[in-house]
Amino acid sequence: MHTLIVIDCPPYGSWSGRESLDMAFSLAAFDQPVSLLFIGEGVLWLKQGQQADAVAQKSVERNLKAAAIFGIDALLVDNAACRRFGLNEGALIDGTLPVDDLRATMDRFDHVVLPG
Amino acid sequence: MSSEPHHFTLVITGAPYSTQAPQTALGFARAAVAQGHTIDRVFLYGEGVHLASVLACPPSDETNWPAAWCEFLEAHAIPGIACVASALRRGLVDQAEQDRYELPAHNLARPFTIAGLGEWVESTIQSSRIIYFHGGD
Repeated sequence: MHTLIVIDCPPYGSWSGRESLDMAFSLAAFDQPVSLLFIGEGVLWLKQGQQADAVAQKSVERNLKAAAIFGIDALLVDNAACRRFGLNEGALIDGTLPVDDLRATMDRFDHVVLPG
Repeated sequence: MSSEPHHFTLVITGAPYSTQAPQTALGFARAAVAQGHTIDRVFLYGEGVHLASVLACPPSDETNWPAAWCEFLEAHAIPGIACVASALRRGLVDQAEQDRYELPAHNLARPFTIAGLGEWVESTIQSSRIIYFHGGD
């Protein structure tokens, strides 16, 4: 059963995205297939060159760069939201997969979770 | 009943008194049990862990949602679990965590217990449905 964890909030304004990420890593740790989808303001998670120490937080960029190593199948990102936030493909961390049709993307998964 | 009974896991991520998530979840849980469905477990995540604080003291003319949930869980022998990482960040601890971190108190309401996300992972494998109750904004 393949789970899709959806993140729709920016990386540093609240803890809920971070806790969504923990859910994904936890599934992967138990060898359950899991992918992440970033939509809306959530696409900002994937921006390169984040300087989170300026707001006394840990950068999420490092976690996402390690996602494949920890067994996350794919980092999917909403193409339309990327355009809205001025993120072209070169601005995103390596290995992200832009998607255009969110509904079709979600339909490919058995379990879709928007954790909060 | 027209279909097979479900065995649900409920995930609550909204805190009592700042969101309606725990109240809505309890309404769902009561209705589900009344109709012959099973609830495998209730998992508190993120802000939802505040539901397991034994120290909540709402005014007497308001529902005490932590107490109402504890009563329901005990009456139906349903495991209630607060995610350990969420709980520790927010100051919700049991006796074991109090000892481990040398804290001055513990405040986890019975019958809730503290455990890891592995409990939720198990639910994704075993329960027939997982229902999420978010705070929403």
